[in-house]
Amino acid sequence: MKKKQRFRTWSSLAIALVLMLMVSACSGGNSSNVTNVSEATNDSSSTNAAANNGSDNAEATADNTASNGGTVEITVWDQPNPDDTMKSIKEEVYADFEVQHPNIKVKHELMPQGTNDREVFVTAMAGGNGPDAYHSAHFPIIADWVGQGLALDLTPYWDSYADKDKFIPSSMEAGTIDGKVYGVPHDMYVTGLFWNKKMFEAAGLDRDTPPANWDQLVEFGKKLADPAKKQYGITLLGMEWADWWFEYYVWQAGGDLTHVNPDGTVQLAFTEEPSVTALQFYKDLKWKDKIVQNNVLQSYQDNMNDIFQGRAAMSNAASGGFGDYVAQGMDLNDVGFAPYPVGPSGKGPGQIGGAYWIINPKTTKEKQDAAWQYIMYLNSKEVAEKYLQFQQDNGIFPNLLSVRSDVDPSQFAQDISPELVAAVNKAASDTHLEYFLKERLTPYVVKAVQKALTDEKSNPKQLLQEAQDAAQKEVVDAYNASVKK
Amino acid sequence: MKAAIEGRKPQVQARVRPRIKISWTAIAFVSPAIVCFLLFKYYPLLQAVYMSFFDYKVINPPGKFVWLDNYKYLIHSTEFWNAFRNTFAFFFIYFILTFWVPIVQAVLLNEIKFASKTLRSLYLLPTAVPAVAGYLLWKWLYNPDYGLLNYLLHFIGLGPYGWLNDPSMAKWSIVLPGVFATGMGMLIYYSALQGIPSENIEAAKIDGAGPWRRMRSIVFPSLKFVIGIQFISFICGVFLTFDPMYIMTGGGPASSTKTLSMLVFNSSFKEFRFGVAGSISFVMFVIIAVITYLQIKLSNKD
Repeated sequence: MKKKQRFRTWSSLAIALVLMLMVSACSGGNSSNVTNVSEATNDSSSTNAAANNGSDNAEATADNTASNGGTVEITVWDQPNPDDTMKSIKEEVYADFEVQHPNIKVKHELMPQGTNDREVFVTAMAGGNGPDAYHSAHFPIIADWVGQGLALDLTPYWDSYADKDKFIPSSMEAGTIDGKVYGVPHDMYVTGLFWNKKMFEAAGLDRDTPPANWDQLVEFGKKLADPAKKQYGITLLGMEWADWWFEYYVWQAGGDLTHVNPDGTVQLAFTEEPSVTALQFYKDLKWKDKIVQNNVLQSYQDNMNDIFQGRAAMSNAASGGFGDYVAQGMDLNDVGFAPYPVGPSGKGPGQIGGAYWIINPKTTKEKQDAAWQYIMYLNSKEVAEKYLQFQQDNGIFPNLLSVRSDVDPSQFAQDISPELVAAVNKAASDTHLEYFLKERLTPYVVKAVQKALTDEKSNPKQLLQEAQDAAQKEVVDAYNASVKK
Repeated sequence: MKAAIEGRKPQVQARVRPRIKISWTAIAFVSPAIVCFLLFKYYPLLQAVYMSFFDYKVINPPGKFVWLDNYKYLIHSTEFWNAFRNTFAFFFIYFILTFWVPIVQAVLLNEIKFASKTLRSLYLLPTAVPAVAGYLLWKWLYNPDYGLLNYLLHFIGLGPYGWLNDPSMAKWSIVLPGVFATGMGMLIYYSALQGIPSENIEAAKIDGAGPWRRMRSIVFPSLKFVIGIQFISFICGVFLTFDPMYIMTGGGPASSTKTLSMLVFNSSFKEFRFGVAGSISFVMFVIIAVITYLQIKLSNKD
């Protein structure tokens, strides 16, 4: 009997111990994470200090590793998909890199599956599984990522980078924060007006003349809209990214949605005249002029489908996207591209967008150096031209805008109409970055835009005033306070 | 007297030394579930509460300690209160449109003897369709230009309606597919109905009780426990629902379908305010816990 009781007591203790161990293993994982983070922070600080000697030092570190007989392995999410038309040339370039840098082994991985690339990257970084170098830090997001500690300060590398003056200034704007360089431009695009020349011709318009201003945009749109054929003048973007295209109209009206003060604080401009004028115009396109799609909240892809299937005569377009038009069966001779119609301000700037290479601040110094070597190689003139040559040889439409000033994509686009190349260059001559603090302010602007597009009786000025009041109190005040600290 | 006292003695001893019987088999079966709950439910919840007191940085956690600032932010946030109202509005719409449907279906199915198995399978089949695919399908049905609903309605002189584009209709449009996705709930109620002894029903019939009287006095009291359980699960499901809004409207138009769960997602992955997301999660937990507690209390009272 006693034996049985003792057995029960010990068994109970054993089970309790196992459970405690399991739970503590769980929290232990956390504390070990904390330890790793603090260690990594130290690593990162030492990295920053050590990296003061820049890329030369990076090469030296890599060489030292090689002389020590070691190989640095870095992980990059740039494995081409099986159906990637550039797969063979990418693999060739990757192989060349390893031949030239025998001490660096690059593990090319496909990006993990997820809802969108930003979410996947942040989740992976939070879990300590992020890549050592990453090439999709989009222009509007990089500032937030820097604030979150997701991108290494590359200034020490950049200062000693031989090609640093070869990047066009507009490509560096978003990636340079408080005078420090956090991103190396990977790719960029400029936006402008797309028009379907065939539809213009069918509507009795000159196929080669896009609308030059807002009045013409409406006039042309009315001629192009044909509800019986479910055909309309111009696409609007009214879904949860509605502020993206709306800001172009604000620029055309002569304003912006935010202003950055010299001290770094932000001033909202939702209620300034250009913003109100733009929203009124946006609303009129839907309710008064009736030249946009019925489903103003449809997705970006649905907008694209309307373009490909000849339902939308005009839309927003990006210089890097013409290949998609061709791939979807459109004749490139029917694709028109021009700077946006000018608004009341007489301006129609294109939006500069794109993505940066960033380096994982939590990885080791050796890996950061190796990642920098890799980025320099992939961003070199030789590799850029190799890709462009491959595209020309294989009939792939190139991005007509290069981040490097010494690489001219038009030289590799001889089969493409000079008119299109000239239009891209013209759009790129007057550009604008997306409004500052966009990631935080999007819900407020989108709400106002969607309300204007779905409620005929809404008052744009009042909508923007409500949006500004809420955004000021909930976002901007806190942001400005953090800047002043 | 002495004999009487001695006679009681063993009983007193039995009270002093109760025999505890440990069911090791039960513990062995329950332990994995408890561990999983601790790991995947309670630990994340506690972690969310912990995060809510910081300006949380995912890369250099936990960031600056801000005490109750994230909660104070919620009190003044129009986005939060809008999402709060929407979440409760969805709760009532889901309740009105969907909660009672599987009960009615089960009761009717219980009465039908002919092809009952086939009908049960037909009800259950749609649950095999992935939810995301279902929502995408409905999104297309609602399309104001090319959607089937507007196309069919125009034959009877109705529409076109904006459905998901109209802030006043969007919530109802999101909930509507739920009316047709009651298979699993229906099966649970149907199983409960099968547990009612047929003799009781027959006896009630003999006593002259009509269908409504039988329903009120026999069927519903028998289902009460299952309805209570289903209601708790319904509350949690509705308050945490995310997929239909995310897929069909993205929270729009004009934030009319943005719920607290969407706000958690947006705060964390779009705005990188993980501390705020943690505080919203905790508020959601408290709301669900309070409603569930009240519901259990009321059920026990009855």
